[in-house]
Amino acid sequence: MLLIRCPYCEEERPEVEFSYAGEAHIARPADPSQLNDEQWAEYLFIRTNARGIHYERWCHRHGCARYFNAVRDTVTDKLQMTYKAGEPKPDAIGPSGGDK
Amino acid sequence: MSSEPITDLLSIDQGISIPDVLTRHPEKIDVRLVGERCRYNIRVQREDLDAVRAASALDLPDKIGASSATQDRKILCLGPDEWIIVAHMSEAARLRRTCRDISQEFTLSTVDISHRNVAFSLTGSLVANLINIGCPLDLAVDRFPIGKSTRTVFENAEIMLLRESKTGFYLETWRSFAPYVCSFFEKFATATQYDTNT
Repeated sequence: MLLIRCPYCEEERPEVEFSYAGEAHIARPADPSQLNDEQWAEYLFIRTNARGIHYERWCHRHGCARYFNAVRDTVTDKLQMTYKAGEPKPDAIGPSGGDK
Repeated sequence: MSSEPITDLLSIDQGISIPDVLTRHPEKIDVRLVGERCRYNIRVQREDLDAVRAASALDLPDKIGASSATQDRKILCLGPDEWIIVAHMSEAARLRRTCRDISQEFTLSTVDISHRNVAFSLTGSLVANLINIGCPLDLAVDRFPIGKSTRTVFENAEIMLLRESKTGFYLETWRSFAPYVCSFFEKFATATQYDTNT
């Protein structure tokens, strides 16, 4: 089981309390009516699918119930850091497992 | 309209029975169903917190996981802007008035969830082990000290947990989950009856 640090509770909590919520830092287009189908599909469905460092959203569903962001290495499944929603995207720490 | 709502006069059958095995050795495991309580969920913006505290005389704790308790009521801070008040039914009318008053002055949400939950009081030397069969939190007293509270899971059912003493916990769950949660308590207690080492 992963231990995930919730940036709101400020402690490490068991993975079962959390739910995954997809890739982070994907902004909804400001004016969707200006987009063609292709651009809208891009926003809805196309994701980075990173091998290595991945910025993603989690929700501490059975805890403080807040969404926050995390930096996870998809190769090693190690969570490098977590930070509150709305905070700027931080730099990843060190090379990713996928670069090896 | 009568000033005293009818819910203050009637007490409900919470529909949960505690198996004998959970009270047979109270020094090890003593699980009791807590009587009917009124519960209010309050969402307040952080910047209004001090003002709401002053206006309501509710001792809303600052930190997530903190709690405050008097004889008649407990207040748990569950999230950055979320608190839950659990109080005796005799406090219900007064709390409802307080909630109504502060919601006129501030932008906040107060929701009556009195009968959504049922509560168990667990005491005894083995209750931390009992809770740990379905809850992965570290319940050592230095990691989960007296007064700490949190929402978490027990065998996938959401629970609310508060440590009231070194060997005493207060556990709430949704009423519909309670027989399920209780069945795991029963299995653990039955199993430990035959374990001479505990």
